[in-house]
Amino acid sequence: MSTDHSSPKAHRPEGAGEPHAFMAHHFNTPGQQAGAAKFGMWVFLATEILMFSGLFLAYFIVRMHYPDMVLEAHEHLNKVAGGINTVVLITSSLTMALAVRAAQVGDTPAIKRNLLLTIAFALTFMVVKYFEYSTKIEHGMLPGKYYNAWEHGYAIQGSPHIFFAVYFCMTGLHGIHVLIGIGVLTWIYLRAGKGHFSPSYYTPVENVGLYWHLVDLIWIFLFPLLYLVR
Amino acid sequence: MTDQTKLHLHGKPIEGFEEVHEHISPLKSYMAVFGALLVLTGLTYAVSYMSLGPASLPVAMIVALAKATLVCMYFMHLKYDDRYHVFVFLSTLIFVGIFFTFTIFDLQSRDKLSEEQGTFFMKEYDREPPPPPVVIPHGEGHGEGEHGEGDHGESKAGEGKADKMGEH
Repeated sequence: MSTDHSSPKAHRPEGAGEPHAFMAHHFNTPGQQAGAAKFGMWVFLATEILMFSGLFLAYFIVRMHYPDMVLEAHEHLNKVAGGINTVVLITSSLTMALAVRAAQVGDTPAIKRNLLLTIAFALTFMVVKYFEYSTKIEHGMLPGKYYNAWEHGYAIQGSPHIFFAVYFCMTGLHGIHVLIGIGVLTWIYLRAGKGHFSPSYYTPVENVGLYWHLVDLIWIFLFPLLYLVR
Repeated sequence: MTDQTKLHLHGKPIEGFEEVHEHISPLKSYMAVFGALLVLTGLTYAVSYMSLGPASLPVAMIVALAKATLVCMYFMHLKYDDRYHVFVFLSTLIFVGIFFTFTIFDLQSRDKLSEEQGTFFMKEYDREPPPPPVVIPHGEGHGEGEHGEGDHGESKAGEGKADKMGEH
């Protein structure tokens, strides 16, 4: 990122004044720079949806071939934990949206406060997920060849090892996204602390926000499909 | 700013190019969307307990779609954003639709095709089913490793795969 505005390469209109410190020289205006970054983010989110769609299709195929098994196996998932996590993620989405709004109006303390709340909710999600996973592992409800729930006194008819393979892949990939989200949220929290963001430059806050909302979106579909089958 | 600072984008002069032009939604609208999302989450729960039979999956998906739409429009600002971003995002649905339709169409029509042509078709998708559930003779249900193995030996000797799995 160049801050050399006196560079002859700087495509600035004459007399345009000093732009924000993160203005790259190959853009004409801050608006153009923000628009390009946001467009790139939307293309990335599109690839994310395509990646998850493969897992969703796997789920629907399993459900199509083994409707009774899926119905029986899903009863072993903790609906309360799933519901708590849904509310936690939706609330974290709200605090993220409020952080972006705070950046738009230039309220740095509010950005930091809302980002901290978002990180706290993300960690809550992972803690609940940890307890869910450890229960599943304890009961031997593991994917594929590792499945051995019958040794722990659970008899699920059909091929439950396939259901749990799908369960762990879908929630696992989603969980990795939450962990990455915690990382990037921390990054913009630190940058907000350095006072990098202003109403003319808040692209990182906005793009991390878009990413975080996508993580929420995917969970909105995962939750009813995995936990609330009927 | 003087006249020299006129900047043209797509052949049109633009004003105030030092600012990022974004719609700033009022706090109230975020709270309203949040409330609606919570209500819809409750509805998802309710739907799953209503025993709607085969209709439950479409209903659950419609509720999830409504929630997703709210998140996209208000939290992700798509309602006020460049329409091109909406297009990029929704275009994935087209490709996901093609992906789903053709795969499921293929899987559902294989039976018929193999019947008509007499071709070989493996119907068992799972490589090997897990062993039949073992009836535990003792009172306590949550057996340790050795307990499970003991049960296992009684249940069936012929399943090599299951033996391997019981070992660890």
